[in-house]
Amino acid sequence: MRWARAIVMALILCGGLAWLQCGQVVGQTNSNTSTSLGAAGDERWQKEFDELCSRTQDAMSYSQEQLAALVQRCDALMPQLEKLDETRKKVYLKRLKTCRGLYAYVLESKKSEKN
Amino acid sequence: MNVRRFFAGMVILTFCSSAFAQLGTKKKRPLPYEYGRVVIRNYSDKETAPVVFEHWIHRAKYTCRVCHVDVGFAMKAGATGITAADNAKGYYCGACHNGKSGNDGKIVFPACSKTGSADDTRKCERCHSAGKNVKSDHDFAQFSGPLPKERFGNGIDWEKSEQLGLIKPARYLEGVSARGSALVVQKDFDLNPKVEGMPDIIFSHKKHTVWNGCELCHPDIFMGVKKGTSHYSMVDISEGKSCGACHTTVAFPLTDCQRCHAKSVSL
Repeated sequence: MRWARAIVMALILCGGLAWLQCGQVVGQTNSNTSTSLGAAGDERWQKEFDELCSRTQDAMSYSQEQLAALVQRCDALMPQLEKLDETRKKVYLKRLKTCRGLYAYVLESKKSEKN
Repeated sequence: MNVRRFFAGMVILTFCSSAFAQLGTKKKRPLPYEYGRVVIRNYSDKETAPVVFEHWIHRAKYTCRVCHVDVGFAMKAGATGITAADNAKGYYCGACHNGKSGNDGKIVFPACSKTGSADDTRKCERCHSAGKNVKSDHDFAQFSGPLPKERFGNGIDWEKSEQLGLIKPARYLEGVSARGSALVVQKDFDLNPKVEGMPDIIFSHKKHTVWNGCELCHPDIFMGVKKGTSHYSMVDISEGKSCGACHTTVAFPLTDCQRCHAKSVSL
């Protein structure tokens, strides 16, 4: 009987240890995932930024709807840039504001042409 | 007698001081090699002198747009808030001054890292040179010698220099500029100065867009959306507004009237 109790206790102990190990591994995996998600997030904003700011020279050829959509996309990207480190935030926010400013300006001039 | 002398002295002093005050307000015309010079004193201290930035050597290598749009330098001296940390991360001056980028077959010297070594001090002083006798790598006389001449500013006709292929300002900076399609060339147009006998202004939209892109000027410098609704005065321009944002600092100055008021007057 004592042997059986000892075996059960040992099994519970092993199970507990295994569970803890497992938790650590899962934790590690999660932290890895979150790091890679951060990098992916980094890539995503950079891609969107490049996409938005590489079109300024074509601004005059866009329709009002296209320009309004570009302004909206710039506005949507801004909160993501606010989260960057100080240097990148300063650089990219200024650059994005410049691009947004042009799209909004061309949109306004197209609207005023119509009126 | 003493009272008379006192009053006479006061009158002379008053006239002299007002005359000196007038002299004080007169702006010294910069020499050709000084034109476009910007002194940046954001974070300079007793150990680190303010940065002396020469536009002429940089504008020969890059268009205005590369630096003021793609790299992100503000249009007013000191407004960017550049730090050594920004440069070290590869932004602002560090976008080129990183010890890796090349130009004219040479590696561009890196921005200073401020570790305190004697070598670093020498490196820092290449830019942090205000009030110091630092020999530059570039000699203005040697540089400007073969370029076509102009009367004012740097004494260089930059537009003609580019047309003749004597300078080739880059329009793109690898890893910094967002690659897009080629710029649609804008048409030049006339502006009527509304002053009797004053020649019309021929605004070279083409030249301005090739060097600046669209977003450097619109909407921050030129915000009017409807043609003919914005009015520009020479007073405002000389205070740095509209055309004056560049044509009082870097581009040919306002004293070169005929460069803008270029349309011949029909008599």
